[in-house]
Amino acid sequence: MTLRLPTGGLIDRSKPLHFTFDGKPFQGYAGDTLASALLASGPRILGRSFKYHRPRGLWGAWVDEPNAIMSVTLQGRTFPNCLATTTYLEDGMEARAVNAWPSAQFDIKSGLDLFHRWFAAGFYYKTFMWPDWHLFEPMIRRMAGLGHVSPQHLDDYSSDQTHERCDTLVIGGGPAGLAAAEAAAQSGQNTLLVDDHATLGGTAHQLPEIDATPTPDWIAARRSAIEAAGGRILTATTAVGIYDHNLVGLAQSGPFGTAPRLIRLRAGRIILATGAIDRPLTFANNDRPGVMALAAAAEYLARYATLPGRDIALLANTPEADTIAAQLTQAGATITRIDPAQNPLSARGGKRLTALQAGDRTHPADTILASGGLTPLVHLWRHAGGKLDWCEARNAFLPGTPPQNMTAAGAANGTFDTDQALEEARATGQNAPIKRPAPTHRITPHWPTPGSPGRQWIDFQHDVTLKDVELAARENYTSVEHLKRYTTLGMASDQGKTSNMPGLAAMAAIQGRPIPEIGTTTFRPPFVPVPIEMYHGPHSKQLWNPLKRLPLEPQHRTANAALGDYGGWLRPGWYGTGDPETRAQSEARMARDTAAIFDASPLGKIEIMGPDAEAFVNFIYYNTIATLKPGKIRYGFMLTEGGAVFDDGVIARLDANRFVISCSSSHVDSVRTHLEAWRQDGNDPDRIFIHDTTQHWATLTVTGPKARQILDTLDLDTDLPHMSLRETEWRDTPLRLARVSFTGDTSFELSLRASHAPALWDALTQAAKPLNAGPIGVEALSILRAEKGFLMIGKDTDGETMPHDLGFPAPRQKKTTPFVGDRSLHTDKANAPDRKQLVGLTVPSGTPPLPTGAHLVTEDAPPRSLGYVTSSYHSPTLGRPIALALVANGTDRIGDTVTAWHLGETRQVTISPPCALDPEGDRLDA
Amino acid sequence: MRDDTALWDVPRDPTHPIALGPATLTPVQLTRQTLVSGPNVLHQTDLPLVEWPGAAPSGPYALALRRDRVLQVNAPETPDGWNDTTQQATSDVTDAYTVFDLTGDALPLLGRGAEITPDIPSRSTARLLFGLGVFLYRLEDATTYRLHVPRAHAEALVKHVETAARLRAR
Repeated sequence: MTLRLPTGGLIDRSKPLHFTFDGKPFQGYAGDTLASALLASGPRILGRSFKYHRPRGLWGAWVDEPNAIMSVTLQGRTFPNCLATTTYLEDGMEARAVNAWPSAQFDIKSGLDLFHRWFAAGFYYKTFMWPDWHLFEPMIRRMAGLGHVSPQHLDDYSSDQTHERCDTLVIGGGPAGLAAAEAAAQSGQNTLLVDDHATLGGTAHQLPEIDATPTPDWIAARRSAIEAAGGRILTATTAVGIYDHNLVGLAQSGPFGTAPRLIRLRAGRIILATGAIDRPLTFANNDRPGVMALAAAAEYLARYATLPGRDIALLANTPEADTIAAQLTQAGATITRIDPAQNPLSARGGKRLTALQAGDRTHPADTILASGGLTPLVHLWRHAGGKLDWCEARNAFLPGTPPQNMTAAGAANGTFDTDQALEEARATGQNAPIKRPAPTHRITPHWPTPGSPGRQWIDFQHDVTLKDVELAARENYTSVEHLKRYTTLGMASDQGKTSNMPGLAAMAAIQGRPIPEIGTTTFRPPFVPVPIEMYHGPHSKQLWNPLKRLPLEPQHRTANAALGDYGGWLRPGWYGTGDPETRAQSEARMARDTAAIFDASPLGKIEIMGPDAEAFVNFIYYNTIATLKPGKIRYGFMLTEGGAVFDDGVIARLDANRFVISCSSSHVDSVRTHLEAWRQDGNDPDRIFIHDTTQHWATLTVTGPKARQILDTLDLDTDLPHMSLRETEWRDTPLRLARVSFTGDTSFELSLRASHAPALWDALTQAAKPLNAGPIGVEALSILRAEKGFLMIGKDTDGETMPHDLGFPAPRQKKTTPFVGDRSLHTDKANAPDRKQLVGLTVPSGTPPLPTGAHLVTEDAPPRSLGYVTSSYHSPTLGRPIALALVANGTDRIGDTVTAWHLGETRQVTISPPCALDPEGDRLDA
Repeated sequence: MRDDTALWDVPRDPTHPIALGPATLTPVQLTRQTLVSGPNVLHQTDLPLVEWPGAAPSGPYALALRRDRVLQVNAPETPDGWNDTTQQATSDVTDAYTVFDLTGDALPLLGRGAEITPDIPSRSTARLLFGLGVFLYRLEDATTYRLHVPRAHAEALVKHVETAARLRAR
């Protein structure tokens, strides 16, 4: 039986489109949605409910539809959870109901409904406690949820993201929105009108004429006027959220299967003309297929030339009901008006509606059109922080105290009469808003009646009934936020568009309180579900978190480097092919035996300049820097205000008013921010200046017993004491030569302009070859520094480690000038006897290295953690494993043997000093 | 220990223009970029001061970055360090920033990386573009947009602009 009318609607009958639903073939037309095409074709059951797998038909005609959710396949690509009412039909679509198998008509899980008495709200909180929730969790998780994400990876499914601005944004292209946009554009404002339908007009299509003009002509005239005045119009564009400073998220849809475009729109002001939706009436079996919103029926008739049914029982308390009833009658339906105040009301039938029982009378019907009143769509108003006021006459929450630069007009403002809405919208568009017109009709409230018989649905999608709300109230979940979470009311993909009002009205009735005292739950973006893709857009793969790239990356690639993410930089982990561990060991051995070249370009080169530079760095550093002479380098810590070690590294003094901070590679950005914060807080910012020159300079480290021989080939004067710096030139370009070591061997750091780094790299590697020396990666460097007990901040320290925990107590005791973190180093906590201190660990030769993260435990029962392993390697130089650890009172435990525990296995280790190689430092000047 | 080399494209030739449909991104080799900071640096500079949207001349100019900082472009060489006379801190940063000119239909691409319009001026040329810190302004022809991006992020910026051009064309 077709419900399609031979004429009318916005569909294009010259373009038939073929599709399937649950495997059966159907036909619709261009301009149809999946829902309208199915409604016209006859199927009533378009989905199954979430919990009980009850058969469900269409309630709404657009975003308020809770039931018809489908997986849609087109051209071999499947997209889950498509709302049938907002998915425009395309030829070849294959749709399937998401929560049903093998079909929505014959769902194998429909028998669950027989056990509904045991599945009341919160049943799983009470039922699955013994012996262990986790026993049941996998099964419940498999059954829960709607739809399945397709395993297909769609390379071209990528959201465009762009930014736009306008003076006035009008959200909603119905009568009020069109009138407001026209007025705004004609008053000279840069105006943008957005509407989520593909065609403008909103509910205007339900009206034969507006302002004595046929509706299609009226809409076309408004469109022309807006564009002629310079306004812009975006259809198929949904305002999904409003954020700070009038930033509006717009999701612009394209053809099916393409990711929506995200437009981040900054609007000077926003006019909300989003309209209103019908709210359901609550009566027994009000979820049966065939029970539909009155406004939805009007939309299906007006846009898609489709009747909702032939024999219609109409339950409504709104003035629009008379008009819609007349239109449906004229279209060929039989309408029976029934007073919704009759009691009890009950829908009859199973998979197909047969009648409406009203008191003692049975009214045969294949369709029930219901409306408990109109609910303005105020979601965006609330996103922006607008208040809501309860209107007794309209029985609805209306926009109250507005957020900044936002106004509501038309049905969204509770102005349901079209003429009044147009007047209000035009005034709003001209930025001269008028007082909300008085309602032309006072509706009779019809709210859920606690204790009434039958199963009465409050939330269609999540299967929440009136009895569930009553149960929640009995168990004292009376706040709407608690009610929502206990019963899942309003938590489905429709986010309570249809269920919130009946739900809170039911709770109000149960408690005998007025509805406004109950309040609403929090409205959060997005207004409708949008793909996660829309949020991240092009920020994926290499653009997700782009690593910083080295100036010498081409040279490293040529040298067959294995590149990886080390502190936000793409750096060589090791060179050559084969087992990475073997390569790193080999490189570390080479560095100790001959020499190694290491690309240290990411090391910070932050310059501090100005008359107060000396005092500033002395204040920033834990160590005393004021005594540092020009040309000298000092190792030091920066602390947080809490006294924890924030960064370590060396600082060089170039002249009286100029220092260079060489902070650790991964901390350059945070150290720069740290310095700027302190520069501007408590210091004179006109006497201190901070220049981050890190990326201007490339730095190559040459380390090892033959390092000096390599540098000799560059004709550089290497007669430089340890911890000194000389500014010189190499091939007519400035070069900073520093003696500083992170390996314990003789080391030189050569820094020069990044564009000259390839030439220096080539010269150094050529000079290294005859000495059996060469490049090393970060992995080998990690071994070399651990052999010496040199720490890595964030690896060998945690958020509570203080400098005296690392063997640097002197400044805390002796430094007389203030420094960041000073006071925190003298608290009880800082002086606690059981502070975790950095130590080394020794394990017998021949045993494998300790797992990093392994705990050192007491012999008590149960054992208690004393600390944990922070770094662990095999030392090729020592021929045995080495490790660093943070251990409670570790310094006093040196020499003790303790148990290391990891994943149930234990080993005996000896606590030792952190430095395992060359503790006297003989190699430094070897 | 993980070899992620294959996850990252080989850096492209830094001298070749990049076609972006109706726009082109062309690398620019500047003679010198000098960071200068000082309490009155905006008023002390003799060079044309370029703000957003700006009209940078073909000769030397200074980009306004913040109230106490400019980036001099192609200015005469000055010694690095603190100058007591001028009360200015100077650092050569020629190799710290990679520079591109975006020509053609550029604004729609820039609009994908930042909330930006030439109609709203800014005292500073510094802004976030695709999440990357850049200096952005126009040249005198008012159709060429010049970008200075930290060298280590140049590859990411180019890839972002390429992706924006591809998505825009869809």
